[in-house]
Amino acid sequence: MDRRTLLQSIALLPLLLASARGGAQDAAARWRRVEAVARGQSVYFNAWGGDSAINRYIAWAAGELDRRHGVRLVHVKVTDIAEAVTRLLAERAAGRAAGGSIDLLWLNGENFASLKEAGLLWGPWVQALPHAPLIDSSNPTTSIDMTLPTAGYEMPWGGARFTLLYDSARVALPPRTPAELRAWIEAHPGRFTYPQPPAFIGTSFLKQLLLLLVDDAAPFAAPPTPVAATQTGPLWAWLDATRPSLWRGGRAFPASGPAQRRLLADGEVDFALAFNPAEASRAIAAGELPATVRGLHFSGGALANSHFLAIPANARAKEGALVVADFLLSPGAQARKADERHWGDPTVLDVARLPPAEAAYFADLATGPATPSPPARLLPEPHPAWVGWLEAAWSRRYLGA
Amino acid sequence: MNALRLEAAVVQAGLRRLLGPLDITVPPGEVVSILGPSGAGKSSLLAWLCGALPPGLSAMGRVFLGERELTTLPPERRGLGILFQDDLLFPHLDVAGNLAFGLAAAVRGRAARRAAIAAALDSVGLPGIEARDPATLSGGERARVALLRVLLSAPGALLLDEPFGRLDPATRVAVRTLTFRLARERGLPTLLVTHDADDVAAAAGPVLRIGAGGS
Amino acid sequence: MRNAGVIVLLAVALLPVAAGLAGLAGVDGNALREVLVAPGVRGALAISVTSGILATLVAVVLAHLLVAAAAGAGWLARLRAGMLPLLALPHLALGIGLVLVLAPSGLLLRLLSPWATGFTQPPGWVTVQDPAGLSLVAGLAIKETAFLVLALLAALAQVPAAGLLRSAQALGYPPRHAWLVAVAPLLARQTRLPVAAVLTYGVTNVDLALALGPRTPPPFAVLVWQWFTSGDLAARELALAGTLVLFAVTLAVLAAGAAFYRAASHAWRAWAATGQRSHLSGLALATPVAALLALLGFAAVAALLLRAVTGPAPFPAVVAPRIGMAVDPALLAAPLATTLALALATAGVALMLTLWAAEALAARSSARAQVAALLFVPLLLPQLAFLFGWQVLLARLRIDGLFVAVLWSHLVFALPYVWGVLAEARGGLDPRLPLVARTLGAGRGTAWWRVTAPLLLRSTLVAGALAMAVSAAVYLPTLFAGAGRVATLATEAAAAIASGNLQEAAAHAALQVVVPLTAFTAAAVASRCVFRDRRGVPG
Repeated sequence: MDRRTLLQSIALLPLLLASARGGAQDAAARWRRVEAVARGQSVYFNAWGGDSAINRYIAWAAGELDRRHGVRLVHVKVTDIAEAVTRLLAERAAGRAAGGSIDLLWLNGENFASLKEAGLLWGPWVQALPHAPLIDSSNPTTSIDMTLPTAGYEMPWGGARFTLLYDSARVALPPRTPAELRAWIEAHPGRFTYPQPPAFIGTSFLKQLLLLLVDDAAPFAAPPTPVAATQTGPLWAWLDATRPSLWRGGRAFPASGPAQRRLLADGEVDFALAFNPAEASRAIAAGELPATVRGLHFSGGALANSHFLAIPANARAKEGALVVADFLLSPGAQARKADERHWGDPTVLDVARLPPAEAAYFADLATGPATPSPPARLLPEPHPAWVGWLEAAWSRRYLGA
Repeated sequence: MNALRLEAAVVQAGLRRLLGPLDITVPPGEVVSILGPSGAGKSSLLAWLCGALPPGLSAMGRVFLGERELTTLPPERRGLGILFQDDLLFPHLDVAGNLAFGLAAAVRGRAARRAAIAAALDSVGLPGIEARDPATLSGGERARVALLRVLLSAPGALLLDEPFGRLDPATRVAVRTLTFRLARERGLPTLLVTHDADDVAAAAGPVLRIGAGGS
Repeated sequence: MRNAGVIVLLAVALLPVAAGLAGLAGVDGNALREVLVAPGVRGALAISVTSGILATLVAVVLAHLLVAAAAGAGWLARLRAGMLPLLALPHLALGIGLVLVLAPSGLLLRLLSPWATGFTQPPGWVTVQDPAGLSLVAGLAIKETAFLVLALLAALAQVPAAGLLRSAQALGYPPRHAWLVAVAPLLARQTRLPVAAVLTYGVTNVDLALALGPRTPPPFAVLVWQWFTSGDLAARELALAGTLVLFAVTLAVLAAGAAFYRAASHAWRAWAATGQRSHLSGLALATPVAALLALLGFAAVAALLLRAVTGPAPFPAVVAPRIGMAVDPALLAAPLATTLALALATAGVALMLTLWAAEALAARSSARAQVAALLFVPLLLPQLAFLFGWQVLLARLRIDGLFVAVLWSHLVFALPYVWGVLAEARGGLDPRLPLVARTLGAGRGTAWWRVTAPLLLRSTLVAGALAMAVSAAVYLPTLFAGAGRVATLATEAAAAIASGNLQEAAAHAALQVVVPLTAFTAAAVASRCVFRDRRGVPG
């Protein structure tokens, strides 16, 4: 252990205990020490870098953090968070228990489950953040990540609701249930598709359909069992029935969510799928989708989850990462994130509990015409093990031997 | 000037003896010829004398210039000038640049060096071609420039590796005569290898005949 | 130590591969069985192998016929100029560009609709991502024909083509036939390694396959990539086993390619020995076919740029109603600077290593060929097979994420090309020239600096430009070695494409084309300017 790492451990050790005992004054004092150590640190934040609006948001945060806390936030753009996971695995294979290349990580669900189980995450740390008490505890997705308790190992950063995008110029009566969608598809062959699992949004579409089609979603909150697997029948019946009427007769699928968005923009299909309710409004504003595109949630409820920030066990700048995370959780940063002009995804804070001055940030957020009103219900994600199960089952069915 | 002396010189390719053992003494101002067919190892002998035997070949024996032993010295410290069948003028330098490359460092000062080069060109009937690109000269002119270049380096002996082979007959006689004349004037011990009997006759010195693949 | 340069060179080039392959040793037997019975694997392997082989065949045939036609009609220089932009175009950008041209909603049909086709909505045709993989073959053929034409032109400098051609024509062979019997076999021999690299790339690529390949099932490399990027760590075992399978399949295809090459050269000799003399006019078709492919490549660039400036338009409009979505130039500046710095450093180090090692092998052409073959090894293996192990080695050395790690990974891919040009030029230099310099009194260093180096200057410039081009194009190794922290135009373009942000992707890709083009142009101009008045200096 080099000297620097040792110093960090000394600074952090009391912090870990802070949530367990000690008064508010102690906590404030400890946080001041974290801020002091963080000053001058560089925090390498591995986050998906595919959206220029999100990139700009992170760049804005970097500027604020530098100004307020003297922390240098470096956005390491990844095309898929799996790159960062691979890196953590490589570092472990190389025996690097400290001084790793990633300080902060944007992830959720399966990746969180894998990394935590592999012991590659540091924590618990979320309760030590000064802004942690503001997290909306009435929204279960802020503390349960796809059925797994976050246990303080990852901090909720923003919300996601499964959203259908459709072109209102060509879809007069948008379908609001799986049955209506199926009827529409059969009436309009070649005009609907979904990204091919294991593309993230494609697998999410399977989960959204599954939760709406089955009578009892309870079995899916646990890992797959042979009995639970038989209950996925309605999903496959729906997929089998619609397949011949899909784009390309269901013989080809878009490789990713963005690939399908291009198909929608070019008029090859009439639907696209998204996880951010504001995606349609933002894409229209950016000129990436026709102005006639609208978003909608299924009337039975929207598959909902949160995305999180985690700190690897071998992170070099843990204090810096804590300061960054806390800043990103602050009402100012969250309000900007919820603003469609900047990013536009649902906040993880309980706005009702904010002091009036800070609640005001959220009061005057403009909503674009393509953004749907909040869904009737939030459908929590199935257990992450279903991701692999659904992807494998889909592949067996539709990829051929 | 001192004599060039080879003692028990042997050139081999692997275990096969190409040439030797040879004991040769070339007195100052004399031309000794080695006459033999292609592939007899003559060029390899000269390469060894220069200190640059190609990979795959080996040699034994010793070389002396006067009392100074050259056998283990690097090429640049042997003081042996060599001329090949090709003139091997440096294509990226003009005529003056080629000659200046050869001209011994002992000639100091830009003016003195330039004058030495001009005088040398003058002496072989090529005045004023300092700035020419070697690629634009005729074969005879190039051969003369190459000869001047090696002489300006003030060598202790001269090695000639079929240096007239590529020239047309008329030029060949002229260049050959010039080469032997200048070598004698400077008292250089000169070792000529060739497969051409006319060269040997013109050299008018001792002759060593060797056969293919051995002596 | 005489061979120190060679040892350093080979260590730099092969250590990453060795580290990577060592990582494959840990593949689990169960995972291997699981890969072989995974859904779609048989079809995926079939697509990978057939599209890779077909694309290679098309590229080899077209490249040879193009060079033959250009040599006959004296437009070799124009051929080179035409192929360079296609070579510099990143695979990923070409893939997206082709989709924008060929898809049912693509530029081609928009230009014809509705006035000629009557379509007001894109038809449900299967064009790109066809189940047989033909659009993937076309995309591969565009890139690889350009690459092989340039490899053939480099080889052309090393064979006495003009003399051979003259003597064959003197024997009564028409020009095209003369070229094919007298020159083409020599060129084919000289370009065996580049062709093998093309074959490997065809079988193992992910970039183009994602954009153009079929989906049910996708090519095998795409399946492996999906396992690699899965959030489920158990899938990593599958991915590792998958790379082993990909590795084995690649070796088998390469072996088959080698056998085919031997059989083909045998048949070729038999054909040449028949003494038939023919105009082979049918082969003239190659030029329009190649022109069509090249046109498609340029159309893809045009479509990408159009999309970058105007954004999407409702079918069948060609241009969007709103124009002028500028990409913030500040976004481009940093990756451009990093790309340039890496390209220059790659060229500099590759040139130094090559010159050092080539000096020791100047007189040993078979050793040079062996080194060339060894340097090509990284290009003959699937990149997926060694990138993870390579990342582990970098992490062990504690240089992952640093500039030097990325530089090293770029060297691995640049050295084979630099060696091909520069070591051959060094070997072609008359060894008596530096020897004469030394007998004239110059020491070893002086003789090198004042004679050898200037005479290699032109080859050095060309090799340096090649190294810069390779460096600007390298994507996956940059990502792995750079720990994501070293952002180049290639990684930014990939990130933008992954998110469907075609505006940004096109801007980055366009700059990515500009870097190597500038390098090639600068090298060409500089090599014309140096020694302009010296006709005898080798070109």
